[in-house]
Amino acid sequence: MGKYIGKRLLHLLWIMLAVSFLTFLLMYLTPGDAAMKKLYAQGVAVSDEVLENTRENMGLNRSFAVQYGDWLLHALRFDLGSSFKDGFPVSEKLLKGMKNTAILTLSALALALAVSLPLAFFTAVKKNSLPDYIVRFFSFVGNSMPNFLISVLLMYYLCVKARLLPVVAENSLRGLLLPCLALSIPLCCRFIRQFRAEILEQLGKPYVSGAVLRGVKKRYVLASVLHNASISILTIVGLSVGTLLGGSVVIETIFRWPGLGKLAMDAISSRDYPVIQGFVLLSSTIYVLINLLTDISYRLIDPRLDKKEEESSC
Amino acid sequence: MLNRHASLSSKRRLVIFLVPAAVLLLLSLFAPLLAPNDPNATSAMMMNHAPCADYPFGTDQLGRCICSRVLMGAGTSIFSAALLVILTFLAGATLGILAGWYGGIADAVIMRICDVMLAFPQMVLAIAVAGILGGGMTNAMLAMGISGWTLYARLARAQVLSLKEEPYVQAARLSGLRFPRIMFGTLLPNILGPLVVNATTQIGVMMIGIAGLSFLGIGVTEPHAEWGSMINFSRSYIRLAPWAVFAPAAAIVLTVMVFNCLGDSIRDYLDVGGEK
Amino acid sequence: MKKFLSLLLAMCLVMGLCACQASTDPGPVSTPTDDKQTTTDNTTPAADPDAGNVTQPTDTTQAKVLRMAESFAYASLDVHKDYYGWYTSIYGVSETLFKVADNLSIQPLLAKEYSVSDDGKTWTFRLADAKFSNGNALTADMVVKNFQRLAEVNERFAYLGDFTFAADGDKTLTITTPEIYPTMLSDLTAPETGIMDLDATTDPDNAPVCTGPFTVKSFEPEGTVEVVKNASYWNGDVKLDGAIFYYMQDDDTKLNAMQAGDIDGYTSVTAAAKQIYSMDADRYTLTEIPATRLQFYVLNKSRLDDKVCEAINLTIDNKAMAEFLGGTVSAAVGPFASTAPYGKVSKPAPDTAKAKALLEEAGYTAGADGMYQKNGKPLSVNIGYYEARSLDTIAVLMQEQLKNIGVDAVLTAEEDPDATYIATGDYDIALYCMIADKSGDPYYCIDALFRKDSKWALAGFPSDETEKLIDELRYETDVNKRADLANQIVQRSIDENAFGYVGLFNKTTVMTKGVSGISENCPFDFYGVNAETDIK
Repeated sequence: MGKYIGKRLLHLLWIMLAVSFLTFLLMYLTPGDAAMKKLYAQGVAVSDEVLENTRENMGLNRSFAVQYGDWLLHALRFDLGSSFKDGFPVSEKLLKGMKNTAILTLSALALALAVSLPLAFFTAVKKNSLPDYIVRFFSFVGNSMPNFLISVLLMYYLCVKARLLPVVAENSLRGLLLPCLALSIPLCCRFIRQFRAEILEQLGKPYVSGAVLRGVKKRYVLASVLHNASISILTIVGLSVGTLLGGSVVIETIFRWPGLGKLAMDAISSRDYPVIQGFVLLSSTIYVLINLLTDISYRLIDPRLDKKEEESSC
Repeated sequence: MLNRHASLSSKRRLVIFLVPAAVLLLLSLFAPLLAPNDPNATSAMMMNHAPCADYPFGTDQLGRCICSRVLMGAGTSIFSAALLVILTFLAGATLGILAGWYGGIADAVIMRICDVMLAFPQMVLAIAVAGILGGGMTNAMLAMGISGWTLYARLARAQVLSLKEEPYVQAARLSGLRFPRIMFGTLLPNILGPLVVNATTQIGVMMIGIAGLSFLGIGVTEPHAEWGSMINFSRSYIRLAPWAVFAPAAAIVLTVMVFNCLGDSIRDYLDVGGEK
Repeated sequence: MKKFLSLLLAMCLVMGLCACQASTDPGPVSTPTDDKQTTTDNTTPAADPDAGNVTQPTDTTQAKVLRMAESFAYASLDVHKDYYGWYTSIYGVSETLFKVADNLSIQPLLAKEYSVSDDGKTWTFRLADAKFSNGNALTADMVVKNFQRLAEVNERFAYLGDFTFAADGDKTLTITTPEIYPTMLSDLTAPETGIMDLDATTDPDNAPVCTGPFTVKSFEPEGTVEVVKNASYWNGDVKLDGAIFYYMQDDDTKLNAMQAGDIDGYTSVTAAAKQIYSMDADRYTLTEIPATRLQFYVLNKSRLDDKVCEAINLTIDNKAMAEFLGGTVSAAVGPFASTAPYGKVSKPAPDTAKAKALLEEAGYTAGADGMYQKNGKPLSVNIGYYEARSLDTIAVLMQEQLKNIGVDAVLTAEEDPDATYIATGDYDIALYCMIADKSGDPYYCIDALFRKDSKWALAGFPSDETEKLIDELRYETDVNKRADLANQIVQRSIDENAFGYVGLFNKTTVMTKGVSGISENCPFDFYGVNAETDIK
């Protein structure tokens, strides 16, 4: 186990190096740079001389190798530099963004779990009943809806038509509600389908029919079903982190939620290299670590997996 | 009803879902002939006009026919998603089989590249790449495809690794058959099922992804009709002309549903577990 | 079967949704009626428990606090850096030596009067009896320090480093320039030249000490900014008690917030929103004036035949475009508002018949489908544009208008125009948008557009004669002669069919009834609240 974790962390280092290099290269090769974006921000024309001077001050006229090397040396000393756009430390911006993204994604995840688990359990037990059909129908439709569409519809119906939610106070609890809903609805629909299938599978297993025959009380049977389904449920939740993080970028951009996703989008559009690099490092670390955690947790629950991986790993 | 369902073979279900999918494909192919109006023709007289006989789904803020644009958008969305899935499928499967069969350095290199691509959720990577490259259909497809192939590569590799040990594969190998022969004759037929199932479910994912990029303004750009960009373009007019948003929205949801159903029924038909 | 049924059901549902949308919604008319309901609720905040708990403080009725939405927010309030000064000026915090009045004339503000030496190189300013918000008096010495800092920290003002500044006593300031510098006053209206009390300002990013009618109460980087009345404002009484500026990038959010009564006003109202506000004239005041942001296209003379250029210019109907854009832009003749003395230019009215004749003169013939071609090659022009400031819509409309006379146009959208088509010259027609009038003088724009070293030079318009005229303009001190020169130069660009001026963005401001004086009649973006701003 320890060896496995060590190997995965070593992987992470390689990934971070490769990813930061590739992003830097991509940014370097594409037209436009931070100096231009900054100077043209308000649509005022500036002379070439001013542009060149700004580039020089920002260190943008150096060669690619020098720029990347410089960044890497600082990054190795845990210094991510400061934003081209406003001079604030990148680490400070990332921390703030991460906090907001965590609030958004975790609340969306919690909401999705709170709704989907009972519904999945209920519909699995009452298979092919009317409520089952209704729930499955909605989860199927929700599954086919892009999250940006859900956002637009939510905004339209809740803010415009029903006037239920205020639009100002973007960072308060009420401001959280819309993006959180938009993020958790598709997730919830997916969870219901997957959890239901999982619980149905457990219900079909011999131990359940055996227990029922032996006259074990229904709630004890259901409890053991839930327990046995927990590994798969955990895996499903772990695998959904990608969707969640991807979705949060879209949702944050639409609702202007000041999280990592919006930070990244803003940084990309202003060609703010230091911030983009910081985001790339942080985002890959989070994703890899969460995958690792999921792996470890179900290894702990089911130790047989450990052996299998050892055999097939490269 | 229930009994009938139970007696329906998975094959018949597959056929049932192939019909709407085929209809959609035909619609997208023949969109230029079916469109009631020129999808790009603007009209100052007909701005934000409600649905009527001439314009079945109404018009947008430039007076363009929504119905024609939705039809043309079907071409863009379905065609691009299908093409993208085919390309990533081919690239991913080839690389995965190569990695699994040869092992060693080829395997290490391909899998390390996979790792890098998988260090981000697909949509995060796509948004970043599209944001840096700028708008356009090709860039949007590139952005979605850059990590799309890893799914097939990993799947194909894992399948090949386990197939390699099978006696009949060993036999083919020992009898001196060349790799292409083994690949097409023995490996591919055996691993195709799970790959195809995943590919069909990916059509919906890709469609949503491309529409999402277009919605954010970093995918397909005006004046090309694409559902995501249509929604984005008309979003600010949702109070004055809700049809301009709802028509492409309904088109996306329906199409994705059809392809998701198709994916499910292909999975049932081939009886393989796809990615959950 | 089940799945198929559910699919069918879903289809019905979605169709139904659309149908409901079309039938039950009697259109926008219903929206304003709902709104009235909300307004009445809003004036008595406690009445409606549902709408009452909005974030607004309950004492809004007593303390006059104006709530505005801004589409831009920076991470700093440092007046001199980057474009932050635009926002400190909007917030009513910083002031400059001169300001531009609504009629584009330059008026004294922190400077009371000025004089220029006979050789035109030495400017003497007499400062007003202004005080900083901390009570310190404004001194010439402090102004000098400010200009020196500005030259250091802002690349766009680095040229100030070539000037010599001298304080002569407390209130007299002289600026000596190496050569004649006629645009001095207009330069000193730039919001970045706002004056801070550099001795008292310890944290320029968050709390600059300035002379304006308001002082910063709270500042959230890239977020909400709150200002309060500067009780000891030097230039009269401040009518408001304070103002809050919310950061709302999204046009829809602003519209929603305005309708919900969460904000009192904002500028740059979109066409869609304008339509909605104008249906409820009892509640909102809409002000629309042509402003300074110019949409234009450049014809690449080094790739296109002169006759084709002329034909294109005769085809593009910018009045029709302005109509499509819902009145958010005014059709332009030249780069400047036609009310300005330097905006007196003319251009021929669209004439598609003549355009077609010109194309035929140039050797093109119309094919069976009506599209022009020469030697079997269709006439196709490439239009470079980027998706901002409605340029995407203009590109679509241009394509349509050109298609109608038989010219095929291919649209190329770029993320960054300055680094792509403009830099490479790889375009037949390039669309662009920029501020054409920074502060009531034509030189900046003419210098940026028509010079031999400008980024548009690749399109082939600049010539020795225009260069000579521009140099003349640069050193001309007489305002009337400047206007004449400017008109001559711009007219050349029109006559030679090198440029097409499409539209000047209107500055559209919406305010709830009772709000007044948020610079809604001033064409510049960098003015906002001031001492006269009021809520009744």
